[in-house]
Amino acid sequence: MLFNSIIYFIFLACSLIIYYVLTVKYRNYFLILASAFFYMYVKIEYIFIIIFIILSNYLIGIKIERAQTKNKRKQFLYLSLFINLGILIFFKYWNFLIENLLGLFRLFHTNNSIPLIEIALPLGLSYYIFQTIGYIYDIYRGSQKSEKNIFRFSLFTLFFPKLLVGPIERAGRLLPQLAKNIYFDKENIIEGGRRIAWGLFKKLVVADRISIYQTVVINNLHEQSGITILFASLIYTFQVYADFSGYTDIAIGTARLFGFNLMENFKRPFTAKNLSDFWRRWHISLSSWVNDYIYNPISYTRRDWGNWGIYYALLISFVVIGIWHGATWNFVLFGLLQALALIYEVATRKGRRKISKKIPSLIYNNLSVLLTYLYMSFSLIIFRTDTFSQAFDILDGIFSRPGKLFFDKPSSLLFMLIGCGIMLIYDIQQEYKIFRISLFTNKSWLVQQLSYAFLLIYILLAGVFDGGQFIYFAF
Amino acid sequence: MKIIDRIKNWKSLNFLFKSLVFLVILFLLDFGIGNFLKYWYFKQYSGYLYRTTYAIDSTQAGIVIFGSSTANHQYIPDIFEKRLHISCYNTGRDGNSIFFHYAILEGILKRYVPKIVILTFDEEDFRKVQQSYDRITSLLPYYDSHPEFRPIIQLKSPFEKYKLLSKIYPYNSLIFAIGAGNAEFNQHREYINDDNGYVPLRETWKGKLGYDTSSSKYELDYNTIKYFKAFTKACFDSKIKLYIFYSPKYIRYKYEDQSIRIAKNIAKHNDIPFYEFTNNPYFLERRDLYADPGHLNEPGAKIYTQMVIDKIIQNEEQSRPTSDSILPLNKYLSIRK
Repeated sequence: MLFNSIIYFIFLACSLIIYYVLTVKYRNYFLILASAFFYMYVKIEYIFIIIFIILSNYLIGIKIERAQTKNKRKQFLYLSLFINLGILIFFKYWNFLIENLLGLFRLFHTNNSIPLIEIALPLGLSYYIFQTIGYIYDIYRGSQKSEKNIFRFSLFTLFFPKLLVGPIERAGRLLPQLAKNIYFDKENIIEGGRRIAWGLFKKLVVADRISIYQTVVINNLHEQSGITILFASLIYTFQVYADFSGYTDIAIGTARLFGFNLMENFKRPFTAKNLSDFWRRWHISLSSWVNDYIYNPISYTRRDWGNWGIYYALLISFVVIGIWHGATWNFVLFGLLQALALIYEVATRKGRRKISKKIPSLIYNNLSVLLTYLYMSFSLIIFRTDTFSQAFDILDGIFSRPGKLFFDKPSSLLFMLIGCGIMLIYDIQQEYKIFRISLFTNKSWLVQQLSYAFLLIYILLAGVFDGGQFIYFAF
Repeated sequence: MKIIDRIKNWKSLNFLFKSLVFLVILFLLDFGIGNFLKYWYFKQYSGYLYRTTYAIDSTQAGIVIFGSSTANHQYIPDIFEKRLHISCYNTGRDGNSIFFHYAILEGILKRYVPKIVILTFDEEDFRKVQQSYDRITSLLPYYDSHPEFRPIIQLKSPFEKYKLLSKIYPYNSLIFAIGAGNAEFNQHREYINDDNGYVPLRETWKGKLGYDTSSSKYELDYNTIKYFKAFTKACFDSKIKLYIFYSPKYIRYKYEDQSIRIAKNIAKHNDIPFYEFTNNPYFLERRDLYADPGHLNEPGAKIYTQMVIDKIIQNEEQSRPTSDSILPLNKYLSIRK
């Protein structure tokens, strides 16, 4: 059930009505049922995986808390990691591991056959596995109490707005909210609705519009000019941002309608002045998760290495971030590229600070923002392709093929640029408060209403609702 | 104002009041902008949207060409008119399927009966793909004015009639195209400048000859087959001479496509001439006649249109005595080269 489908909004409206009609004590039970239905809508079988994860981690969480010795707690932690990572590896990384292992065997001229599995990755698996690992690890280190109420723990894992694309929630944030009685509050409805409207704008007007162009360019890569491939690569960053943050906005907005506050996942990443800043603003729930459960423990245990300990922790953390996105070497390289840039930033921090004092801040800051964006766009070329040779084809195309910028009709370009422009202006206004008058947060409720009404109207005018919009490249 | 202030003080009513105001604003904007777009859409005098409206509501041509891009860019009405002395209009529109072609035919048949209909058919036209349904979007602006399109529009999604409660929705993503269709400069733009619906392609393909060795196994969409049959039946019922053409490609096919096989069988069963130009040696050797592997450029279209007309004349000569012919044979025979 896609967040931007009519079916989803029918499901959401029905769920919301039933949720608020029910008495308070039954509301969470209903949300568990609704979330299970939501998850089973795609494929019924996968509910058993999530039920197994819920039950095993619920019990392990309690066991860790009750364990008398550190050794015992560690054993339960490892058991939980074995179960969670085992499931994740089996569904997501098995074929990747086997293919690489067989490749290694072939290097030594030994023929082995290990079966590959033809099985679809259960939706949202990486998200809820990471969330569960975080919960168990928090109990292990004593910063979180285990949840004794099985229903509350089930909802913590299953809660449908964040089930498929995050944010990867923390137990310390979400479980206390689930323990409270939620009453109808019009502010939740208003704010949730607004957030969903923005999410739809980003997804339908910006991301899906750019996607039409991307599809044509990438499917006909060898016939495209360098400037076209460069343009497509630069706006791909906007597409990924609009797509993912749009979905996140709909998730956060939906949760808010039910009275819950999910964590923010994006914080205007295009205003980041360096890559460390970028990763504090981009997919925050994942980067902060990796920071808390991988980077910090490693850099702490390697603190006697000095800066090398930080570099080591960065390398491991970003390889994990890379491979979390998918089982290909390109994702590993993507992670490595991020780590290398961050290591460079750590190593040159003092030098860069000195340079920044010699250059007017307006120029330095804008140049930094531009360079960060360009580096991220370059990294995403690796991210978007399945193999190194495909990534190389794109890079080679940018530098070796002369020609004009391809666009079938001026309107295709206009729709893309207007969508990106509105999104950027909104983010810049949120970050720097450049304009005195703010439409969406205006003091006058009528101006606010009008602004959101125009936003919805613009979605109707310029959103991509299905494959009805297309670009013919061949001509 | 006092009433409004009093309502504001009452929290729940205030929320309801504001929600209502929001919905009213939304409705008024949708209604106002949607109706303006409707007016603007049907006021166009150039461009691909105008051509569709013209095909549905205005053309009186004796020969009408139906199809997607392979129709629109490869059949030149001017040549038909000069050789056959019958007016001709090309209703082809890029990326559309039999659902669109059938709807246009229905729209035309409501007004008059053309003498000849040419339908272009492509490989994989009966393949089950979501795109065939998504592109029914092209018909949305005619939902109100052409009730005969509604069953086809409903194929797009069960929610379509509810989405169409919005007045803007039928014109989604069309605002710039509508603007251009109303602009003077648009008539002089190369791509837009058409000849009775035909839009020439000027590029010349520089790539290699393609080879299709796929075994052509894919899931069939029985809706497309149903509408293909409905198209042929509508022509038969109206006593229209229907010709189906599968145009040249700069691709050598090893196996016959299953859609083509089915279409041929339907055509044969109903005594409809079906002409196939794929793997045609002449076109396979002439890369210079293509704009891309799937479409002929303008010089290619000129040659191909002559060949199409030859086939029609040949068929007319074989199947009917001269006096009963749909075509004014004595005229075209005299100018035939």
